[in-house]
Amino acid sequence: MAISKLKTGLLAGLSVLALAAQANAGEVRVTVAEYSAKTGPYFQEVEKAFEAANPGVDVKFEVVPWDVLLQKLTTDITAGTNADLSIIGTRWLIDFVQQGVAEPLDGYINDEFKGRFIDTFMSPSVMDGKTYGLPIAASARAMYYNKELLEKAGVANPPATWAELKDAAAKIKALGGENYGFGLQGKEIETDVYYYYAMWSQGSEILDKDGTSGLDSPGAIEAAKLYKSLIDEGLTQPGVTSYAREDVQNLFKQGKVGMMITAPFLSNQIKEEAPNLKYGVAAIPAGPTGARGTYGVTDSIVMFSNSKNKDEAWKLLDFLFQTDWRAKFTQGEGFLPVNKEEAKMDYYVNNADLAAFTALLPDARFAPIIPGWEEVAQITSDAIQKVYLGEGDPEALLKEAAAKADGILKK
Amino acid sequence: MHNRALPYLLTLPSLILAAVVIFWPVVDLIQISTHEVSRFGQLRDFSGLDNFAALVADPDFIKALVRTGVWTAAVVGGALLVSIPVAVILNTDFYGRSLARVIVMLPWAVSLTMTAIVWRWALNGESGMLNSALRGLGLADHNIQWLASAATAFPMQIMIGILVTVPFTTTIFLGGLSSIPDDLYEAAALEGAGPVQQFRRITFPLLKPFVNIAIVLNTIYVFNSFPIIWVMTQGGPANSTDILVTHLYKLAFRIGKLGEASAVSLVMLAILLVFTAIYIRLAMRGERA
Repeated sequence: MAISKLKTGLLAGLSVLALAAQANAGEVRVTVAEYSAKTGPYFQEVEKAFEAANPGVDVKFEVVPWDVLLQKLTTDITAGTNADLSIIGTRWLIDFVQQGVAEPLDGYINDEFKGRFIDTFMSPSVMDGKTYGLPIAASARAMYYNKELLEKAGVANPPATWAELKDAAAKIKALGGENYGFGLQGKEIETDVYYYYAMWSQGSEILDKDGTSGLDSPGAIEAAKLYKSLIDEGLTQPGVTSYAREDVQNLFKQGKVGMMITAPFLSNQIKEEAPNLKYGVAAIPAGPTGARGTYGVTDSIVMFSNSKNKDEAWKLLDFLFQTDWRAKFTQGEGFLPVNKEEAKMDYYVNNADLAAFTALLPDARFAPIIPGWEEVAQITSDAIQKVYLGEGDPEALLKEAAAKADGILKK
Repeated sequence: MHNRALPYLLTLPSLILAAVVIFWPVVDLIQISTHEVSRFGQLRDFSGLDNFAALVADPDFIKALVRTGVWTAAVVGGALLVSIPVAVILNTDFYGRSLARVIVMLPWAVSLTMTAIVWRWALNGESGMLNSALRGLGLADHNIQWLASAATAFPMQIMIGILVTVPFTTTIFLGGLSSIPDDLYEAAALEGAGPVQQFRRITFPLLKPFVNIAIVLNTIYVFNSFPIIWVMTQGGPANSTDILVTHLYKLAFRIGKLGEASAVSLVMLAILLVFTAIYIRLAMRGERA
């Protein structure tokens, strides 16, 4: 008697497990990155509106902090418990495609749908002629400058070249007090990118034409020496290797930094946290030949190959990429518009800050689409941190890093 | 009623539980570390010890290994040195003792990650509390960039490690102290032993088993401790504050080398097993003698 009770109990337990493991028909799970405090509420709203319009489909958004997104996806995919859709950094996409994790979307995309997107942002998600992701967030970088500080220092226009920037930074330093000319990021995410701005302006690229690392090119070495000289001459904030991007942005919001390079979302933050700061947005400084480059970033939303509800998932994607929903998301987060119709809205056309960013898009470089990119970026960050710390000759450090990177690129 | 199988039967449930919770993941790790693995954990060809060889060839791994030794020894040793006097003081009767006990235990109640985040702010070069305090007291005339290089960042991390390890260690010692009967001290006092002698001849010897427990448990916790270093420097700048756990995290989730990461975690497991076995052996022998 007791044993049979135990048995039924176990069986009941097992069947509950089995039920939980099987995705319910009509359920669409989506992993989304938390870009700001506005991300969660936005997707809650999407969920309500979409479920009202599509009875029978149950949408579940999982909002994950950006820092742990790749970790969560890796473990979920390994365990086979991944969602149906997920936002990913487009630079990770090649791994997803090579491992057969991402589903090509061409079967669903018609001309009308394709026509909604700005091509520049769509192209990084296309591999081998197939579209594996849709750009859900796009961003670029430009130079923010503190108008008051520059004025006090007697600099009339925001510097257009690195030489002018160095000059302006020296004048800001001469003001004394806790004023720093150029905010230089030296820690955590995008430390390598902050160095590329100078490198691109010297005419060097991340990858040479033959596919090897460009870190040992003359322009790359010149760029490292430029940043090092800014640090040595006290034209940056002290202790650059303890400043992540957010830390430099905080200095800028406090009005202590003359110039820094970052993304459009800083404008939103300034509006809320430092509304009295007088600032402007200008192009990233150019090098001696007039070359300049900005970093273009897109995040893509991908469909997983093992999704059991692909049709419903596609419906949700179609819903997400309507102009109104896109505009609400982009404006809330401070991104750049990826939809053509959206870009024509007054909000973007009459916004001087955003205009500076969109003007730089022709010079935008995206992270190279190569396997092992994260490792190459890590090597670059490590090397440039050593340069900032003065742990060796910039040229030797970069050549060493280039050799290491080439070892990975050859694979 | 002398059933020889009974003890085994009674421990069986916990053995099964331990097997599921511990052995299964370890078997999984061994499998991953001896294969080529895709970005998402799918096993490819058997690769023998290639992943381990790659680790040994990586100077960052060797440096992280040595640094983990320094980190563990410094934090465990430091916590021990601080905790014994703290526990002895908290064990004596004085006005406000309960309040003092609460204050010493407080860091334990705050999550490790939160503690680390607060310290990251406090150590900020421009607006950090520590710099403004030092300058306010006239101890420093310029801002110190605590987290900018390992020379200042790593000692700070060790100090915070000690700070958060003290409450647990003190608790163990307080338990130990309360088990020492008061008559021993009374007898010693009658014989004319001073407080120092009482500590050396009574307190410390009787506290020894508790010191051993504290060393073994703390070594395991601190060796595997991730949040302090990750939150404050992510092992940087240029991997100069990496310990094995942060190195492992970067390998696995930044770069996607799950095979090598599994190898690191097996190495860590092996180190801890060997350490614990040797230490318990030595400690036991000491007790029997």
